[in-house]
Amino acid sequence: MRAVLRCFAPALLLALSLPALAEPYLAVANGYKCGQCHVNPTGGGERTVFGEIFAQTALPAQHLDTGADLWTGQLNRFIALGGDLRYDLEAQQVPKTRTTNQFSLEQARVYLSASVIPDRLLVYVDEQVAPGGALNREAWAMYWSAGHTWYVKGGQMYLPFGLRLEDQSAFVKQVTGINMTTPDDAVEVGWEKGPIDLQLAVGNGTAGGSPSSNGKQESLQLQYVASRFRIGTAANFNGSSAQGSRDAFGVFGGLRTGPIAWLAEADIVNDHGLPSGPGGGSRKLATLVEANWSPARGHNLKVTYEYLDPDREVANDQQTRWSFVYEFTPIQFVQLRFGARLNDGIPQLPAEHLKLYFVQLHGFF
Amino acid sequence: MQIPTSTLGLAGATALLCACAGNGDGLNSQGEPGTPGSTPTQLTADFQSIQDNVFTPICTRCHEGASAPEGLQLDAAHSYALLVGVPSSEVPTLTRVKPGDPDDSYIILKLEGASGIVGQQMPYGGPYLPSSTIDVIRSWIASGAPQSSPAAAAAAFAVVATSPADAAVLPAAPRTLVVAFNREVDQSLLNSGSVMLERDTAEGPLTVPVAIGAAPGNPSTVLLSPLQTLGVGSYRLRVRGTGPAPIADLSAQGLGIDTTAQFRVAGEP
Repeated sequence: MRAVLRCFAPALLLALSLPALAEPYLAVANGYKCGQCHVNPTGGGERTVFGEIFAQTALPAQHLDTGADLWTGQLNRFIALGGDLRYDLEAQQVPKTRTTNQFSLEQARVYLSASVIPDRLLVYVDEQVAPGGALNREAWAMYWSAGHTWYVKGGQMYLPFGLRLEDQSAFVKQVTGINMTTPDDAVEVGWEKGPIDLQLAVGNGTAGGSPSSNGKQESLQLQYVASRFRIGTAANFNGSSAQGSRDAFGVFGGLRTGPIAWLAEADIVNDHGLPSGPGGGSRKLATLVEANWSPARGHNLKVTYEYLDPDREVANDQQTRWSFVYEFTPIQFVQLRFGARLNDGIPQLPAEHLKLYFVQLHGFF
Repeated sequence: MQIPTSTLGLAGATALLCACAGNGDGLNSQGEPGTPGSTPTQLTADFQSIQDNVFTPICTRCHEGASAPEGLQLDAAHSYALLVGVPSSEVPTLTRVKPGDPDDSYIILKLEGASGIVGQQMPYGGPYLPSSTIDVIRSWIASGAPQSSPAAAAAAFAVVATSPADAAVLPAAPRTLVVAFNREVDQSLLNSGSVMLERDTAEGPLTVPVAIGAAPGNPSTVLLSPLQTLGVGSYRLRVRGTGPAPIADLSAQGLGIDTTAQFRVAGEP
């Protein structure tokens, strides 16, 4: 234990000096870039040694000390392992429909990485092992420059576009079609210099489907990360489908004010070639504003407001969603989440009035 | 704990910016521009009704446009061609909609969250469809999953998609080529003179022998299986709408023009 603590003392000290928790709001609350806690510089998935230590010391209300070494994810000098499990009890209420409730395994994922050339060349796999059959989410190799100022990543990956939220059903994630359920076969080049992050990715654009043409998807993201705030912009063009193309533009950012970490994103998505809408296309707008209040270590209250205009040429069809999620992390690697998501939409469509209540057991390492 | 004024200011500004949901004025029962106040259409076991009541209002939030998950676009223009008789990309041994067999149709397994699926139950994040709605989709599939689209019937007979698409560059030779029409093809007209595959050579186009037939359970889609391995080179898929052996639909309406899709095989199979 002492050896491990000595080894990771700088990271541990830094983590212990910080007030709070994980996800994009944690990065905002602490002034981190995504790559501080995740091996992927654009965030999500396996944690770095720093991220693992942070998750065990700064995140939980209490660090359960059994005298064993701290988990760092490192099986040896080259191989690292991680995982994530979310198990839900949820109830869904939709007008004119019988209320349903069920236990369900939302996801169980395993992350495995090999630093085949330490600090320079990383091979990474993110496998969803449940529910259902195994599903490869990410599988890529990444080469870093000597000073870690730029990298090249190739394989199946999530494309850079906006905030990498945990909730993949958020309007900004669904409408853009760029989220953690739609990895793409792509090559990504990243440049990181001081507070500036820049990524450019080019991929098949088929979101898991088979390529049907030689069209490609390009995604560009630029972000400025300061200790108290960050601001970014992203653009995406997908010309992979013979039936139509899509372009998307977004601005996003974060701000820390006292104990509250704010996140915001606004995306415009234009589909060309669809028969719906005047001119044979559709123009969508999705926004998100989120406040995370961490009154004490191990506790976080997340309030999110979302807005969706599914077709800007059509009046009176907008949808909104409020989410209230309380996250309690009693000990390291274990989190309990209690939430309600309240949708509102047009009266004609009951499904747009979904009220979802859930309790989630979230385990991660 | 003291909350800074900046936090209170931001919270107040956010509250003021929070817009409300639409009131639905001017929208029809599917939430689209149409006859206001039209009576809701009862969901019935035909494709158009399922499109109007399920795919368009619920599924297209994600499954629309060029970035649709798994390449599955479920808007009215694409859903039938991409569902019926098409292998699932998540479980390729299963067909998304297998006409006559709902239990083996992947769409049903995904909607029910059945064992054997890959990934999450659909619709993603809910609300999940009530069993009564899934039963209607089951009935449509059990009855052979006919298209029965009034819009398609009224439109001119046409090719809506080919695979490979025009200008495609393929890393490996395709084993099957697909031509999707907007309605059922007169299968008696399917022959080597009406649908053909040509290879570009220095001496000019050379016809590649293919087996031609309608897709199982989807008579509006034609499959071509090359009888020889396609080597590296440039190819042209040609559908005759003119000349001595044109393609036509069941009411003898022809395409009027030839349709071609040029593609290149860049690597060996």
